[in-house]
Amino acid sequence: MTMNRRHFLKGLLSVSCVALGSTSVLKPLTAMAGTLSEPKEDWLVTGSHWGAFRINRKNGVIDKVLPFDTDKYPSDMINGIRGLVYNNSRARYPMVRLDYLLKGWDSDTTKRGDFRFVRVTWDQALELFIDALNTVQTQYGPSGLHAGQTGWRAVGQMHSCTSHMQRAVAMHGNFIKKVGDYSTGAGQVIMPYVLGSTEVYAQGTSWSLILEHTDTIVLWSNDPYKNLQVGWNTETHESYFYLAELKKKVKEGKIKVISIDPVVSKTQNYLENVEHQYVNPQTDVPLMLGIAHEMVKQGWHDADFIQGYSLGFDEFLKYLQGQSDGVEKTPEWASKICGISPERIRELAKVMTTGRVQMMMGWCVQRQQHGEQPYWMAAVLATMIGQIGLPGGGISYGHHYSGIGIPASGAAMPGAFPRNLDEGVKPIFDNNDFKGYSSVIPVARWIDSILEPGKVIDANGNKVTLPDIKMMVFSGCNPWNHHQNRNRMKEAYHKLKCVVTIDTNWNAGSRFSDIVLPACTTLERNDLDIYGAYANRGILAMHKMVEPLYESLSDFEIFTRFARKLGKEKEYTRGMNELQWLEYLYNGCKQANNGQFDMPDFASFWKAGYYDFGPGKPWVRHQAFREDPEINPLGTPSGLIEIYSRKIASYNYDDCPGHPTWMEKVERSHGGPGSKKHPIWLQSCHPDKRLHSQMCESDEFRATYTVKDREPCYLNAKDAKKRGIKNGDIVRVFNDRGQLLAGAVISSNFPEGVIRIQEGAWYSPVGKDGAKAGGWEIGALDSYGDPNTLTLDIGTSKLAQACSAYTCLVDYEKYTGKVPEVSGFSGPIEVSV
Amino acid sequence: MSQTEVNQARSLVYNLFSSLFAWEISEQRQKELTSPDAMVFWDMLAQDPNMARPVQILLATLTQMTTERQRLELAADFCGLFLVGDKNAASPYASLYLSDEDRPTIFGEQHHVMCDFLRQSQLQVQSDFKEPADHLAVMLAFMAQLCVTASDESQLAFLETCIDSWLAAFVDKVDTCDPGQFYSALAKMTLQWVRDDISALKQL
Repeated sequence: MTMNRRHFLKGLLSVSCVALGSTSVLKPLTAMAGTLSEPKEDWLVTGSHWGAFRINRKNGVIDKVLPFDTDKYPSDMINGIRGLVYNNSRARYPMVRLDYLLKGWDSDTTKRGDFRFVRVTWDQALELFIDALNTVQTQYGPSGLHAGQTGWRAVGQMHSCTSHMQRAVAMHGNFIKKVGDYSTGAGQVIMPYVLGSTEVYAQGTSWSLILEHTDTIVLWSNDPYKNLQVGWNTETHESYFYLAELKKKVKEGKIKVISIDPVVSKTQNYLENVEHQYVNPQTDVPLMLGIAHEMVKQGWHDADFIQGYSLGFDEFLKYLQGQSDGVEKTPEWASKICGISPERIRELAKVMTTGRVQMMMGWCVQRQQHGEQPYWMAAVLATMIGQIGLPGGGISYGHHYSGIGIPASGAAMPGAFPRNLDEGVKPIFDNNDFKGYSSVIPVARWIDSILEPGKVIDANGNKVTLPDIKMMVFSGCNPWNHHQNRNRMKEAYHKLKCVVTIDTNWNAGSRFSDIVLPACTTLERNDLDIYGAYANRGILAMHKMVEPLYESLSDFEIFTRFARKLGKEKEYTRGMNELQWLEYLYNGCKQANNGQFDMPDFASFWKAGYYDFGPGKPWVRHQAFREDPEINPLGTPSGLIEIYSRKIASYNYDDCPGHPTWMEKVERSHGGPGSKKHPIWLQSCHPDKRLHSQMCESDEFRATYTVKDREPCYLNAKDAKKRGIKNGDIVRVFNDRGQLLAGAVISSNFPEGVIRIQEGAWYSPVGKDGAKAGGWEIGALDSYGDPNTLTLDIGTSKLAQACSAYTCLVDYEKYTGKVPEVSGFSGPIEVSV
Repeated sequence: MSQTEVNQARSLVYNLFSSLFAWEISEQRQKELTSPDAMVFWDMLAQDPNMARPVQILLATLTQMTTERQRLELAADFCGLFLVGDKNAASPYASLYLSDEDRPTIFGEQHHVMCDFLRQSQLQVQSDFKEPADHLAVMLAFMAQLCVTASDESQLAFLETCIDSWLAAFVDKVDTCDPGQFYSALAKMTLQWVRDDISALKQL
C-alpha cells in the first residue's frame, strides 16, 4: 500500500464518517428471505395466451419452461416466455416525465416519446395520477377523460388490466368509453345485421364434423395454422390435432382445400397440396360477385335455401346483374379488378357449389376500407351455396381464433374481477354531463376525437359527437401498436395534457406517456384462467412463479393502493385479498357447475393446478336455425339471413349501402388508385411469433426472427431485384405518411406488388435521417419496423368506423443512410431541453 | 494504523460508492455529502491526482445544487442511466457485461453467482432495494462486507472476478450516456478506487 493511500485511509477514520456511508443495501439473511432462499426445484403451473406451462425456479428466477401436460402441440413461442419477465424493456419503477413533474398540465407535450423521466415513489405516482384526474374532472368533466382502453390484455380472470383500471378510475369519476376492437371492427358490426351475431367471436362447427363431412374447405384470407398459436384465454392448441388430421385427408385426396389469398399462407405450406388462388389485394368483393354471377347464370345456387332462409336476394340480384347500376358483375368484369381469369372464376363457382363446402373467413379482409363488404358478400355466397347449418358446410368467421371449432365442454366458467362499480357505489365526481359529446366512441376513432373534437360522425346508425379528450389512461394496452399512422398520433398527443400508462414495459405507449406505473407480468402474481377460450376445457391455476420484479406490482395491488388514496379501498376490494378473490371466483364456478361436474375444493384445485372438464360434444353452427328458422330465428331484424338489410339501407350511407357492394378504395395496388406513386400493398397481418405486440420485448426470442435487429419485411423476388435488394439488406419502406426500416426476407410466398410486415413490431422512432435523437418528431424514421408507421387512419365506413390498416400502399428501397441502432426495447431516449 | 482500521476505512468507501449507485441524491443525502466532515473526506480523496478531477466535478454538483429542479435534473440523469433499459443507458448489472450470450438480459448468470455468495455469507439484499443481486451497488456493498470479514485473498479474488471484470466497460457506458457529469465522474472515481485497492491488496 502506498503512503498516500495509507495516509488517506488513516485520515478517513480520523474524521467522523458516519455521514458518508448510508444504510447498506445488504442485511443479514433471515428465515423469511424471499428471493434469496434456497433454490426450489418444484414445477408450478401457469397459463398464458401462448399456452399452459410448468415452470421451475432457481434463486427466485424462472429457470425452465415446459409445455403443460395436456398440450401436445405447443407453439415455439414457449421459447419467448422467460423473456417476458426478464427483458431489457421492463418498466421497473413508477416514473414521471420530468417536464410533467415540473409543470403539470402546462408541460411541453411536443417532445413526448423522447424525454427525461424521474423515479418517484408509488405514493407520489398515484397522487400525481389522482391530481390529474381531479384536474380533468374539475376543468373539463368526464368528456375530457378517455379511460376506455383500446387494445388487448394478459390472461387471468382476477388481474385483467382493463377491469382493474376501469373499476378504480370509475370510483373517481366517469369517462369516455369505446365500442368495438381493432381486430374485427368491421366484421363484428356488419355480421349482426346479416347473420344475427358477431360471428367473429362465436363458436364454430366442430373440426371433427368438418373432417367427416366437408369435401372442400375454402380458406379465404385465412391462416389458422399461424393464428391458432395464441388465444384470448390460455390456449389448449387442440386445434392442431385437427389440422394434422386435415393434412392427412388432403394428402389422401379426401378433402380439397383452396386458399384464396394474395399470399401463400403458413397454413398452406403446412397442409401441402393446397390449391392456392391468388387474388389482387382488397378485391375479394369483385371476385365474390363474379362467382355469384356465375352461380346464378348456371342456376347452381340453392334457390330453395335462399327462399326459405334469407331476405333480399332479389334486391341484390338487381345489383349483381347490373339492373340497379348498369354494371353487370360478370366474371369478365371481376377479372379486370381481381386479377383472376374469368375461366377460373367460373371454375371456382362450380367448385363452391359441388359437394359439401365449408367457407372459412379470416379477419384480414375486413380490416380495410369498406371492410364490411367482403364479410357480407361471403355470407351471401354461403347462402347461395345453401349449406349454412349443415355439418361441414356453410361459413365461419373464426376457425383461426382461440380454438374455435373445438367442441365446448358445456361447463360454466369462473367469473372475473368486476369491471364496473358495485351497485350503490358512486364516483367521487358523480358527474354525467358529457357537454353534448358522445360518451362512447368507435374504438379506432379516438385520435380523430383528439384532433377534431366536436366533429359529428356517423357510426352504426347513430350520430357520434367526438369528445374533446384531454387525458388518457391506458392499462396493459399499447395504442402505439394497434392504432394507425404514427405521425398523426404524434400530432394528437401534442394536444393531450396528461397520459397515464400502466404497463409491464417501456414500449412506445409508455414512452409517449407522462406517468408510467410498472405492472408485473402474469408470472409474478397468482391468478386463474379459463383453459380454452371457446372449448372451456378446464380451469387452470396461475401460480405466482417469482415475486414482482423491481417495484412492479400486480394490477390488483396498484389499484387497491389507488382506491385507498380515494378512501374507497373496501369498495374496491370488497374486503378480499388476491387469494381470497381467487377462491371466491373458483367457488362461484364450482357452484354453477354443481350437479354437472364434481369440482374439488379450492385448496385441492390450487395444489393440483388444473381441473379438466373433459371434451365437449361436436356441434354445428346455425343447425338449429336450419332445422326451424321460425322457432330458432337468427338475431337479425327479420330473423333470417339478410342479403339486403333494410336497416342498413335506411341509414343512407354512401359507403355502406343496403346490400354487399364493390366500392373502389382510396388506395389500392395492382392498378388501383395511388398505385402509380406507391405501387406496393402493405400487408400488416397478425404476427407469427408474437401476440400482437406482446412478446416483442422478449429479447432472445426476438433475435430468432429479426434481420439485422429489424422486424422482417417479406418481399417478392422480382420486386426486390428491381430495387437492388438482397436477402438480409436493410430496407426503407415509405409512403407519404411515414417511413420505417426493416430487414429484407425474399420469399416465394409473396407475389409482386405485395410486402408483408407483421403488426406488433414495437415502434422505435429515431431522427428523420437516422440520428439517435429526434424520435419525437413528426416524420421520424422507425428504426425497427412497425407497419402502423405507414398505415392509413380512416374508418372502414360510416357503419363500423373500424380500422382500415389493410388499405395501405407503400414503396421501398435499399437503405443507404446511416443505420441507426434500434431505439425500442430499452428505456426512453433523452433529449436535451 | 492497524490493518483492521484500514479495512474499516475501505469498507466505508465501498459502502459510500454503493449508496451513490443505489439511490438518487435526496436533499438529506446532499447535506450529508457536503457536511464539514464529508468535505474533509473529499479533500483527502482528491489528494490522489487521479481522483482530483472527478472529486472536483462531484463536489461542484453537490455544492451548487440549490433548487429542487436541480436535484430533479440529477435524478433524471440517474434514472436515464440506471433505471431504464440498456441501450441508451448504463445498466449497472454485471450479467449484461459478462454474459457470453448475444443478447444478455437482466437476472442473468451473475445474479445467481451473487445470490450464492450472499447466501454463503448469510446476507441478503434489503427489501427496499428491489434490484437483481448483480447490481453494482450490491457488489460494492458486498465488498464492503468482505473488507471487514474476509481474507485479503478472498477480497482480491472477488474484486477481480466479480467487479473489475466489467467495471471499466460499465464506466465507459456511463461516460457515453451521462447527459450530465456527476455520474460519469462517480463512475471514474469508483473504477480508480477499485484499481487502487486491487494494487494495494496485491502488495500485501
